[in-house]
Amino acid sequence: MSQLQARFFTDNKKYVIDDVPFSIPAVSEITDLSNVINKLLEGKNGDHKHVEFDFLVQGQFLRSSLATHLETENISTEEVVEIEYVEKYTAPQPEECIMHDDWISSVEADSEWILTGSYDKTARIWSLEGKAVATVAGHTDVVKGVAWVKRDGLSSLLLTASLDQTVLLWEWSSERNKLRARHCCRGHAGSVDTISVDPTRSKFCSGSWDKMLKIWSAVPTEEEEEEEEESNRPRKKQKTEQLGPTRTPLMTLSGHTEAVSSVLWMDTEELCSASWDHTIRLWDAETGSQKNMLTGSKVFNCISYSPLCHRLATGSTDRHVRLWDPRSKDGSLVLLSLTSHTGWVTAVRWSPSHEQQLISGSLDNLVKLWDTRSCKAPLYDLAAHEDKVLCADWTDCGLILSGGADNKLYTYRYSACLSDAGA
Amino acid sequence: MPFRPAFSRCFSWDIRNTVGNIPMEWYKDYPHIGYDLDGKKIFKPIRNKDELDEFLDKMENPDYWRTIHDKMTGTDVCLSDEQVDLVHRLQQGKFGDVNFNEYEPAIDFFSNEVMIHPVTNRPADKRSFIPSLIEKEKVGKLVHAIKMGWIKPRRPKETAPQYYDLWAKEDPNAILGRHKMHIPAPKMRLPGHEESYNPPPEYLLTDEERQVWEQQDPDERKLSFLPQKYLSLRAVPAFSRFIQERFERCLDLYLCPRQRKMRVNVNPEDLIPKLPRPRDLQPFPTLQSLVYHGHSSLIRSISISPSGQWLVSGSDDCTVRFWEVCTTRCLKTMEVGGPVKSVAWNPAPSISLVAVSYGENVILVNPGLGDRLICSATDQLISSYEEPEEVKDQQVQWAVPEGKAQEQGQRLILTHPKAVKQVSWHGRGDYLACVMPDDGSSLQVVIHQVSRRRTQNPFHRNKGAVQCVSFHPSRPYFLVATQRYVRVYNLIKQELTKKLMANCKWISSMAVHPGGDNVICGSYDCRLAWFDLDLSTKPYKVLRHHKKALRGVAYHKHYPLFASGSDDGTVIVCHGMVYNDLLQNPLIVPVKVLKGHIITHDLGVLDVAFHPTQPWVFSSGADGTVRLFT
Repeated sequence: MSQLQARFFTDNKKYVIDDVPFSIPAVSEITDLSNVINKLLEGKNGDHKHVEFDFLVQGQFLRSSLATHLETENISTEEVVEIEYVEKYTAPQPEECIMHDDWISSVEADSEWILTGSYDKTARIWSLEGKAVATVAGHTDVVKGVAWVKRDGLSSLLLTASLDQTVLLWEWSSERNKLRARHCCRGHAGSVDTISVDPTRSKFCSGSWDKMLKIWSAVPTEEEEEEEEESNRPRKKQKTEQLGPTRTPLMTLSGHTEAVSSVLWMDTEELCSASWDHTIRLWDAETGSQKNMLTGSKVFNCISYSPLCHRLATGSTDRHVRLWDPRSKDGSLVLLSLTSHTGWVTAVRWSPSHEQQLISGSLDNLVKLWDTRSCKAPLYDLAAHEDKVLCADWTDCGLILSGGADNKLYTYRYSACLSDAGA
Repeated sequence: MPFRPAFSRCFSWDIRNTVGNIPMEWYKDYPHIGYDLDGKKIFKPIRNKDELDEFLDKMENPDYWRTIHDKMTGTDVCLSDEQVDLVHRLQQGKFGDVNFNEYEPAIDFFSNEVMIHPVTNRPADKRSFIPSLIEKEKVGKLVHAIKMGWIKPRRPKETAPQYYDLWAKEDPNAILGRHKMHIPAPKMRLPGHEESYNPPPEYLLTDEERQVWEQQDPDERKLSFLPQKYLSLRAVPAFSRFIQERFERCLDLYLCPRQRKMRVNVNPEDLIPKLPRPRDLQPFPTLQSLVYHGHSSLIRSISISPSGQWLVSGSDDCTVRFWEVCTTRCLKTMEVGGPVKSVAWNPAPSISLVAVSYGENVILVNPGLGDRLICSATDQLISSYEEPEEVKDQQVQWAVPEGKAQEQGQRLILTHPKAVKQVSWHGRGDYLACVMPDDGSSLQVVIHQVSRRRTQNPFHRNKGAVQCVSFHPSRPYFLVATQRYVRVYNLIKQELTKKLMANCKWISSMAVHPGGDNVICGSYDCRLAWFDLDLSTKPYKVLRHHKKALRGVAYHKHYPLFASGSDDGTVIVCHGMVYNDLLQNPLIVPVKVLKGHIITHDLGVLDVAFHPTQPWVFSSGADGTVRLFT
């Protein structure tokens, strides 16, 4: 088999070529096929510029030579092979490298600011350009989770969770660059590893090593006004007072038999938590009852939900990223396993704008950008970290962030292919 | 003639006694003997014949032989010639009458010959010419039965021969079937080129081959003869071994055992015991996942917190480090005054204490990790101790550290008279056993009670150097491993319950199954012995998978797993299923060899420990790392 019949098609009007089967060498790879398409386009209109393309055969990205791909996918070479081509996603462009004093345990960014939690017991706020803006110091132990609650003009609310069993709710005004602890949420009997704010921005949920999930109110009460006046005290005193009044949980969800490693809101009424007891549980946030349970075979480290494709992605201690359908009733159905990492997967994050792309960070120092149509090989390896990757985030504005044990937070600019309408 | 008158007198004198047939003794006392026909008395003869008379008579009387004594009349009677003749005839069984012919010819009246005159002249019966009514009735019945069809005409006789197949019912597939058992006589090999009188030259033996042939035993020879070449068939001599060969052939034919050998084809793989595939025994650790870097020297001991979140390691670089398990982050480093021999996290979840032994000291450290409430409660528990009024003279000094050590988390320092090699907590977390190996000393094992700050020496005399000790997880037993034996003591009864013989030279480590009925021992001579305490005092199984000395063994708390670490740098994980059913012996299957540690100074893995909840195993090595395998 040296030649095979192939027909190319695309949904992108810009790059349409004639719907005729071509005979192409079976050993040709992506670059060869891309050259073929470019030649054809040049023949069609003279002012065509060279574009790199990516190719899909029956919904799977082509990553090896055409012949081996067809063989592994068990596709007949007798008939005309239908090959879809899309403009190649450009590689994420590294932008900033933000140095920290210690390991970075968590990161969350919004459109303006980056919030990172670190093992030096502080959380930090950075601008997107990598400028240190503020340091959130108040915890007595390692900060394990951070989250933005909301932005109200120039003042924002943010959350930090720590190994010292508390979650702190802070108010930060970016104009005056002033930080104030509004509430100290006490109740967990273990380190709080994960927090997640609900879509209405009025509640948040925290998951802890003590196997519990707790739902708290994220609205600062007005009593604090009095305390604001008292903030003119000596600095030393101020620091101890800074943590604000204690807040107790609205609701406690118990059911996990091991530590809760990750929690998220799927919508305003549904919570999802992943745990070391090999289960993902879906909870009703109103009643606090467990709605569904997905059982895996390994410890889950992280979980992410995409509202675009309604799927859960989990990273576990066996180096696979697995995709789940949370609506399935039979419990333990893995839709897809993305396998390329060689260490524990510590962070996964769906793309906020693309329904088939996600990133994963692993203890093998790599961050990988995946497309679910290519489950054997990722689209790109982001190999910048020199030590374990512990956290990753992907903002709405196309910024990928990852932090790890090498004290560095890397940011990448990634445009999920504006021209990719057909994907 | 004197004979005649006597004879005539005898018969003419008819004297007849009329008394009848009675015993003549009745007339013994009478003079007469009876009565004659006329009724006159018959008198006894006046005769007194004595013996002498009798004898004279016998000698002189020629008729004495024919004289008989008649008792009835008491007279002697002389028999006549006719009478003597009659007596002779009767004695011979002949008829008394001389003239009687016993063989007269018989006349056959009822012969087949019809006589012209019948013997009887009886007229014929009437019934002989009238038909019988009974027979008529019988015939009528038969006729009726035939008409009604009750009697059927006789079936014609089958002319087919009456034989059958004797072996028709035989199973044709039976091994011992008639035809299957037929074994033809062995055929003789047909003569080949060697036997030819003019064989091709390649069949002729060279001199060397001939020598070999001659040296060989006749049974071993490939050919029983030497091929020889002759110019023509005429030149071929008579075959000298002809008779011999024919004889041997005959012997072969009738002595050869015509027997089918029932050979069982045993697949060698079937002889290997069926062990389940390791894949079916998952989960167990398979891959090295995390490496905890930080120590600069070999790590003697590791221990995991009961929650599974923290790991403590003690090293020869005089530090104790506390690690976060899931990120390999070293959260705390504590320097102590010597190489750390042993660390042990208190197994009680409500107490946050770690025992660390270095040199002659054991320190109890509150790491301050985990639940704040538990940490402060532990501190309170230790500081709430009140000195008793009577101070006992103890061999171990209890001291409360101050200053920097207190800040670091050290809460109590126990100073022993000798170097402490191992510390081991009781399951409830109040008692702590320390081992000070010293052969022959009376103070090798001490048990501390932390809450009351009291020290006990449970054994006044120890046999051999104690290597390690362990508390039984559920019963009040205490296991002490010396070089060759493991002794199980009952702490309540204070007696020796069992003595396990390890069959090895030097025990290095010991672990007790959480169920309490099984113990594993690692030894420096590369063996791991599994004891079933219910079964025997000898090892239930001895595993020799390691190539070098074993340094550490461990059981998993929940999963049926145990692991052993060795100087060859490997950790071997085995599936060790203990069944609740007492009849079923534990199932032991080695499942994985985990490699990763670098052998430094001929030392590999020094300690192994399992994660309390996950099927993960930690190992510490001489290369200064702790590795987590998942």
